[in-house]
Amino acid sequence: MMKRAVYLLGAVLGAGMALASAQGLPTDPQIAAIVVAANQVDINAGKLAEHKAHAADVRAFAKRMVTDHTGVNKAAVALVTKLHVTPEGNATAESLRQGGEQNIANLKTLKGAAFDKAYIDHEVTYHQAVLDAMDKALIPGAKNPELKALLVKVRPAFVDHLEHAKHIQSKLGGQ
Amino acid sequence: MVRPHSDRSAPARRYRAPVLILSLAVALVAAGTLTGHAAQRAKRTAGHAHTVIIEGMAFKPQVIVVHPGDRITWINKDLFPHTVTSTAGKFDSHPIDPDASWTYVARKPGEYDYVCTLHVTMKGRIEVR
Repeated sequence: MMKRAVYLLGAVLGAGMALASAQGLPTDPQIAAIVVAANQVDINAGKLAEHKAHAADVRAFAKRMVTDHTGVNKAAVALVTKLHVTPEGNATAESLRQGGEQNIANLKTLKGAAFDKAYIDHEVTYHQAVLDAMDKALIPGAKNPELKALLVKVRPAFVDHLEHAKHIQSKLGGQ
Repeated sequence: MVRPHSDRSAPARRYRAPVLILSLAVALVAAGTLTGHAAQRAKRTAGHAHTVIIEGMAFKPQVIVVHPGDRITWINKDLFPHTVTSTAGKFDSHPIDPDASWTYVARKPGEYDYVCTLHVTMKGRIEVR
């Protein structure tokens, strides 16, 4: 009886996981790569903007992005190292990385108010996209409870950054 | 009082009185400071200790009710710095690093709103009753 229950549970879990991969939920090694790529993209843009941005509040925001996302990445790398999870490259991580490179290339061609606007507009879109990915794929996909807990813990940082970026965006738009 | 036959010792005597007064003043100030510290220590031990955890971009609890003389310690459990800054300019922790803490003694009754100056969504309040 017990054996049958275990088989049944296994079958249900198996079906659930098959469904999960059909929906394209990433695995823990893929999530690790996505988290590191997502943070790195924003650190790189922030490093450029903290020196190149024109408005003081845009520079302060950029500095905040570098500090906060560096903190998140340090914790993420420490956790996956502890868990012996090797980040595995995937389409999402790759598109994040490419999007980040395109953004930097575009920002490098701009100056002054045009730079500020392009940087902040991208920050709004980027944080919204990462939040969507967190809610639809990363948090539901994470199997390891510590990895899931880390994602849940850092989610409010992305919400705060999005609000902050939107606030600056509205001020820039009003100028 | 100045004796005409001892001109050499006169300047020394002239300084004696001010030096004495100065020493007395230093002693009094020191005693006063010591008493002040002792009183402050006594008051601190008398007050209760409260903890606010900063985690996930939030102050937990968001509103803390304390009595005058109570100590409040904010512990930053997030992965980046935060501040505890009065919106009315009453207190400011300046950046508190991850795993670091900051303590404030609430003295005057009232309601004190505070924010993290680094993160727009973070708000808290101290109610001293």
